[in-house]
Amino acid sequence: MNTESAPLRKVIPIAESLDKGPIEPPPGADAEMVSLYEAHKKIYPRSVTGFFSNWRWATVFLTQIVFYGLPWLEWGQRQAVLFDLGARRFYIFGLVLYPQDFIYLTGILVISAFSLFLFTAVAGRLWCGYACPQTVYTEIFLWLEKKTEGDRSARMRRDAGPWTLDKLWRKTSKHVLWLAVALWTGFTFVGYFTPIHELGREFIQLDMGSWEIFWTFFYGFATYGNAGFMREQVCKHMCPYARFQSAMFDKDTLIVTYDAERGEPRGARSKKADLSTLNLGACVDCSLCVQVCPTGIDIRKGLQYECIGCGACADVCDTVMDKVGYARGLVKYSTENAVNQQWTRAQTLRHVLRPRVLIYIAILGTVVTAMAVSLAMRIPFKVDVVRDRGALARVAEGGRIENVFRLQIMNATEATQRFHISVEGMPGLSVVSENAIAIASTQARWVAVRVQGPAEGLAPGSHTIHFEIAAEGSIGKVSEKAVFIVPR
Amino acid sequence: MNQDPTALSQRLMWIVWPAFLMAGVLEIVVFAMVDPADLHWQGAPLEASRQAVYTVAFFVFWFITMVSGALTTLLAMSPFEVNRCPVPRDSRPETCAEDCPRQGTP
Repeated sequence: MNTESAPLRKVIPIAESLDKGPIEPPPGADAEMVSLYEAHKKIYPRSVTGFFSNWRWATVFLTQIVFYGLPWLEWGQRQAVLFDLGARRFYIFGLVLYPQDFIYLTGILVISAFSLFLFTAVAGRLWCGYACPQTVYTEIFLWLEKKTEGDRSARMRRDAGPWTLDKLWRKTSKHVLWLAVALWTGFTFVGYFTPIHELGREFIQLDMGSWEIFWTFFYGFATYGNAGFMREQVCKHMCPYARFQSAMFDKDTLIVTYDAERGEPRGARSKKADLSTLNLGACVDCSLCVQVCPTGIDIRKGLQYECIGCGACADVCDTVMDKVGYARGLVKYSTENAVNQQWTRAQTLRHVLRPRVLIYIAILGTVVTAMAVSLAMRIPFKVDVVRDRGALARVAEGGRIENVFRLQIMNATEATQRFHISVEGMPGLSVVSENAIAIASTQARWVAVRVQGPAEGLAPGSHTIHFEIAAEGSIGKVSEKAVFIVPR
Repeated sequence: MNQDPTALSQRLMWIVWPAFLMAGVLEIVVFAMVDPADLHWQGAPLEASRQAVYTVAFFVFWFITMVSGALTTLLAMSPFEVNRCPVPRDSRPETCAEDCPRQGTP
């Protein structure tokens, strides 16, 4: 580090010195004070149209059609996607999952994480700019704000001005619209956990359960607050991803970049002026790239952690370049290497497949394959075995030794299944209780199972045995370990 | 503690939000293993619906995780921040000038 250019550090003693009394701060100490916290100024993003903006709206529609629409989709006699917390069953199209299927949730989380790493390494913060709920709802709320209050300059002027009837009316309609979207979002959220058709009926009859009402308002309020007020604050101060994104970035990662070599020195100029005589770069310093930025940064200062990769600055700069008759792409979506070495698009794309990306693809591919295979080979029922708490072992008629177990059989299909239980692990062992158990669709049942073994030839003590449970018409078998006790 | 209002709001965000995320994780992990219907409270079965248990537990998890985050931000303050006088220099009362060891801080 260059010590000459670094500011000298001033040490301000605060404890009273024994011989000198309170120590006065050195002169100029006040001027040294730098706040550790960034002062918050309200950001009024200017609306923008263009290539990236169109893509963002496309993803807003896509994600929201899925989010708002999915709970209403029917699958047979039920909701296609329902995380029925009340009954502790998850329904995802044809799948019925029990809490015991936790491994699949883990799998989905691992897949999500590696997808994020992969997308980030290749193309920067695609998630942030296009798919993150924070961005998506902010975009929707900004659109509503523009419809009621006008674009950036009108909003700024009105906010600075006095309260008038017009201002009151516009602000009220904005908040009513925001609240409507927010509550609908909260309602939809709850609809993933409670059957939404029923919920809709209850809502119309003003008869929703108190927990449903609570979560609708809670989630709705979070949406209203985050998309209406917090906005870029969430990305800047609350999002952990923004802080570790650089771990996935390298010089071949696609990011929103400003071509400083072409743009600098920036400056305003007359439209008719000859660029070659002006000693100016292509940047006309119109500051529109700053005005459209949802996080309020200046992309011309280089990559900053606040940049969510939305491309609004690239869109608006292209329209300016078109207007002044310069080539597009002063602010563009490119890689650091491509900008520095002036690569063509093909050269840039050739650098996508690099070791980091290949490793992410390999891990992702492995986990996806493992999960698909595991789901395809999944046995559609589960069994838990517990020894009966009441009696360890007893001698039954004929001198045979009997142990009683309790088996919980969980039917993970939507048809009645019939189960057969057999037992292995010791000679002469057999199940003597009723042994054709029917369990209705998606139900779980505890069954008492009596197992008997011959008295002679068995050493006293514990013996490991295995229950084999098979369903009629199902290929798979479940084997569960248990302990058979022979009394002394 | 600090006269800067944005500092307080940012600190609150650091405390509330990560705790919210972790409360969600705890909720998933705990209730994947535990069925609220099996819970007991002081020896007797808990007479609350599953939804009630999920909801109350979420806020308990959230609150406890928030306390952890709050302690972290408290301990993460630099000695400079802890020692400085919280009142801006020009609005300090005359009377505290004599005996306060922090009066010399900016």
